[in-house]
Amino acid sequence: MIATNVRRLALYLLLSFAVVSAGLSWWQVIDAPTLEARQDNPEVIVARRTMPRGAIFDAQGTLLASSRLSGGISRRSYTDPAFAHVLGFSSIRFGTSGIERAWDDVLSGRTDPNPLNDIVNDILDRPPTPSDLTLTIDQRLQDFAASQLGGDAGAVVAIDPATGAILAMTSTPAYDATPISGDPDDAPAAYARIQEQAGNPLVDRARQGHYTPGSIMKIVTASAALDSGAITPRTTFADQPQEETEGFVVQGFRVREHDLSPVQPALWAFSEALQVSSNIFFAHVGLEVGTDAYLDYARRFGFCSPLAIGSSPRALSVTASFVTAEQDGDCSEFSDRAELAQAAFGQGRVAVTPVQMALVAATIANDGVMPQPYVVRDVRAHAASASTGPSDRILETYGGGGGTRVVSSQTASQVRRAMVDAVQAPLGRLYAGAGAVSNFGITGVSTAGKTGTAELGPNTPPHSWFIGFVPAQGTAQPAIAVAVIVESGGSGSGRAAPIGGAVMAEWLKLHRN
Amino acid sequence: MLLPLLVLVPLGFAATHIATSGKADVGPMQLAAAYVVMMLAAHFALVAAGHRGDPLLLPLVATIGGVGMVMLNRLSPDVGKTAAFGLDLDIATTQVLWFGVGVAAMLAVAIGLRDDRVLRHYKYTWALAGIALLVFTFLFGTEVNGARLWIYLGPIGFQPGEFIKLVLVVFIAGYLAEHRTLLRDAVWRLGPIRIPPLPYLLPMLAIFVIVMLVVVFGKDLGTALLFFGIFLTMLFVATGRRSYVLVGVLLFLAGSFVASRLFEHVARRIDAWVNPFADPSGAGYQTVQSLYAFGRGGLFGEGLGQSLLPTAGGRFFGVETDFIFAVVGEELGAVGAFALLALAMALVFRGLRVAMLARDDFSAMLAVGLTAGLGLQTLIIAAGVVKLIPLTGITFPFVSYGGSSLLASFLIVGLLLAISHRNALAADAEAGRVERGP
Repeated sequence: MIATNVRRLALYLLLSFAVVSAGLSWWQVIDAPTLEARQDNPEVIVARRTMPRGAIFDAQGTLLASSRLSGGISRRSYTDPAFAHVLGFSSIRFGTSGIERAWDDVLSGRTDPNPLNDIVNDILDRPPTPSDLTLTIDQRLQDFAASQLGGDAGAVVAIDPATGAILAMTSTPAYDATPISGDPDDAPAAYARIQEQAGNPLVDRARQGHYTPGSIMKIVTASAALDSGAITPRTTFADQPQEETEGFVVQGFRVREHDLSPVQPALWAFSEALQVSSNIFFAHVGLEVGTDAYLDYARRFGFCSPLAIGSSPRALSVTASFVTAEQDGDCSEFSDRAELAQAAFGQGRVAVTPVQMALVAATIANDGVMPQPYVVRDVRAHAASASTGPSDRILETYGGGGGTRVVSSQTASQVRRAMVDAVQAPLGRLYAGAGAVSNFGITGVSTAGKTGTAELGPNTPPHSWFIGFVPAQGTAQPAIAVAVIVESGGSGSGRAAPIGGAVMAEWLKLHRN
Repeated sequence: MLLPLLVLVPLGFAATHIATSGKADVGPMQLAAAYVVMMLAAHFALVAAGHRGDPLLLPLVATIGGVGMVMLNRLSPDVGKTAAFGLDLDIATTQVLWFGVGVAAMLAVAIGLRDDRVLRHYKYTWALAGIALLVFTFLFGTEVNGARLWIYLGPIGFQPGEFIKLVLVVFIAGYLAEHRTLLRDAVWRLGPIRIPPLPYLLPMLAIFVIVMLVVVFGKDLGTALLFFGIFLTMLFVATGRRSYVLVGVLLFLAGSFVASRLFEHVARRIDAWVNPFADPSGAGYQTVQSLYAFGRGGLFGEGLGQSLLPTAGGRFFGVETDFIFAVVGEELGAVGAFALLALAMALVFRGLRVAMLARDDFSAMLAVGLTAGLGLQTLIIAAGVVKLIPLTGITFPFVSYGGSSLLASFLIVGLLLAISHRNALAADAEAGRVERGP
C-alpha cells in the first residue's frame, strides 16, 4: 500500500522536475535572446562599456558614428547633429535610443545578422564581432533639410516612394550626442544641459511629434472619397459656394472657410477645391465618405497604430497617428458627424506624425501602394578604420519589400493630378506655388504637393505643413516624396512649402548626373 | 561509484583557476583534495563498519556536493570572507569544514543509530522540542534580511528551521504510522458530504497553524512552503487520498492570499514574481538579474568563472545561497543545470526506494518524509529561481553555502542510510529463515 503510493509520489516528483527543467529551458534557450537584448542586462552594459562597437555610415559611405576605446572605456562619437534623432545615442549611462537601440545587437556584435553564424559562434564561444551599418539616408540631403529648417522647431522626412528608402529624416532643434555617449562620469551633466535647452531637443519630431495636420489631410480625405466612389473628380456640392461665406452647419457645428482672398467663391469640383483648399468642400466630401469608411481608409494609410521603419525585431517605431480621439492606443469611433467634417480637412481630433504624412505623399506617388519604409540599407563587416570608409564585405542587405496597396491606381493618379494642380495650376499657385521645384532651378519637372496650415487657436501661430513629390508629370516615376513641418511657422505656403520644394529640388540636383 | 568525483572536483577547481587567473596551471588544490579525501574516507568508514545501506546515496550526495564545492570555490573571491567558527575564512573553506561536520554527523547516525525506537517512541517529545526551538527562534532569533531565522551560539550561527524540518518529519512519520488506517478508511458523514474523521485531522490543523506562524513571525516563506509540502506528501503516501493534498493546497493558497493582504513583505514577493520587469532595479531586481544569468548561460554556458551575476550591482546578494542555481545555469549552461537536477532527482529516487523496501510503516514514512524534504527543497528553490513560483529564500541541498542546511541534509542522508541498512539486514534474515526453514 505504502509502496504503491511511493511509486505514485515518484511519478509526481519526476513530473515536477520535468516542469522545472522546462522552465529552465525557457529562460536559457527560448527566451534568452529577448533577455540579452534588454538594456539593464549586465552583459549589455559591460559590452557597451568596454567592447568595440560597429560604425554607422550614410548612403555615400560618409562616417556618421564610430567608437574608440580609451582609458578602458568605449567612447562613441557622432559627426553630424542632423542625424541625432534617427541615430540616437549609445551611452554607458543612459542606454541607447534610435537606430543605436534598434540595431544594438548587430552593432555590439551580440548577434550575427545571419542566424546560422550565431549558433556556430555560440558553440565555439567566439567573442562578439561588431558589424557596421549603412543607412539609406544621404548626408548631403539630410544636412540640406536641417539647414532649411534653420533655427525653427520642425521636421523633414523624405522617402523614395518606389522603395520606401528613407532619404532624409531630421528633426530640429538637434543636439550633439557625443558628450552623453563618452565618459560615463561626464554624461549626466551633458544630458542635463541638453534637457535644459529650449525646444526640447531630445524629442524626435519626425517620429514622435504629434501635430494637427490641417489641409494636408485633404489628400487622405480625397483618396478615401475617390477610391470608395463617394465622389468623382467632377462631383460638386450645390450649397458650397454660398456656404463659403456663411459657413456650413453640421449637427449645430458651423464649419467656416479659411481666408480665401484673393479668390472669389465658386462652385468647385475636386481639383479647384484642392487648389484653393476649400474646407467647406472637403467637409462635404468627408461626410459623403461616412464615419466607418473614413476610419477604414485612415487605417489603410497607416493611421491608428504605430508605424515601423524597417522590420521587426530591428524596427524604429513611429508613434501612432490618430484621426479621432485616442482610445487604448487605437482610434476611437467618430463621436458625431461634426467631428468627421472637421477631420476631413485636418482639424478636430486629428494628430499626425511627419513620417505618417510623408508616407501618405509616397503612397500617392507610388501609384496607390504604400511602401514599407526602411532606413538601414546594409550590414557590413566592421571597417578596419572607420575614418577610411566602410568595408566592402556586405553581410546582409535590406530593402523595403512589398508595400501595401491603399487605394487603386486610378484613384492615385486622380489625386496626383490634383496635387500637381495644387502647386502649378493658376488657382493653386496662389497657395502652394512656393513648393514647386521650378523655383529652385529645376526645369521640366512637375511638382505635386499640398500645403497645410494647422490652426491651433486664436493666440498661437499655426503650424506650417507641406507634403509633396517630384517628378509628378504624366506617368513619371517620382523619385522623392517629402513631408515638412515647421512648428508655429505660419501658413503652409509661407514656410513649409518652400522648404519642401527646395529639398526635393536638391535631391534631383544631387542625382541629375 | 565515487571515482568520478576524483576527477570532477579537481578538474572544476583547475578550470576555474585557469579561467580567472589566465595561468595554465592547476592552482591551489587543498580544498578540492580535502573534499575528495573526506568523501572517500566516509565511504571506507561505512565499508569498514560493515554497513549495508544503499550504496548509491553517498556517491550521489558527494557528486552534488562536488558541484557545489566547485561553484563555491569559484564564488569565493566575489563573496569575500565571512566569520565562521570564530575565524575569518572564505566561504569555500568554511563550506569544506561544514562538509566535515556534516559527514561526521551522517556517519554517526548511519552507523550509530541501530535502533529507531528513540525516534519512534518519543515522537511527541521531538515535536515539543521542535516547537520549543521554533518559539525560541521567534523570541530570541536574529533578524537577517527581514526574516528571523538565525540563532547565534557564540560565533556559530545556525538556522533552527533546518532542524525543525527533521523533527517535523520524525513526528509526522510516527503519527501517521500509528493512525494510517484510520485516516485512510474512516469517514464521517455530514449529510451527503463525506468528510475525514476530524479528531485525527487535528495534527494537520496544528501543523497548518505552525506553518502560518512561521510565515507571520519568521517571515520565512520558503521554509513554510517546504514544511507544508513535506506534510502533504507524507499524508498522501500514508493514505493514498489525493483529496487531502487538494484540500491542503487550497488551504495553503488561501493562507498565502490572506498573508499577501496582511503582510507587505509577502505582497512584495508576489508582485516581484508576477512581473519582475515592472521594477527591474527595485523589487524585481534579484529575479531579473538571475533570469539574465540563465539567458547568458544559454545551452552550453559561459564557462566556469565567467558568470556576471556575482558582481551584478557590485555584489549580488544571495549568489552563494538562494541563487547558486542561477550561477550554475550561467556558467555550465542548461546542460549543466539539467545534469544537476538529474542528480538531485536520482538522489530522490534512491531515497524513495529506501522507503519502498522498508519493513515497517514508521521506517517507510520516515524515509518518505526525509526524501521529500530533500526533493521538495530542491524543487522549491529551483522553481523559484526560474520564476515558476514566487522566489523564497531557501537553500539548494548540498550545493548552496550554509552550515545548518548542509548539516541537516547530511543528517537526512544518515537516517536514510540507517533505514536502508536495517532493510538489508531484515531481508537477509528473511532469506536466511527461508533457507533454514523446515
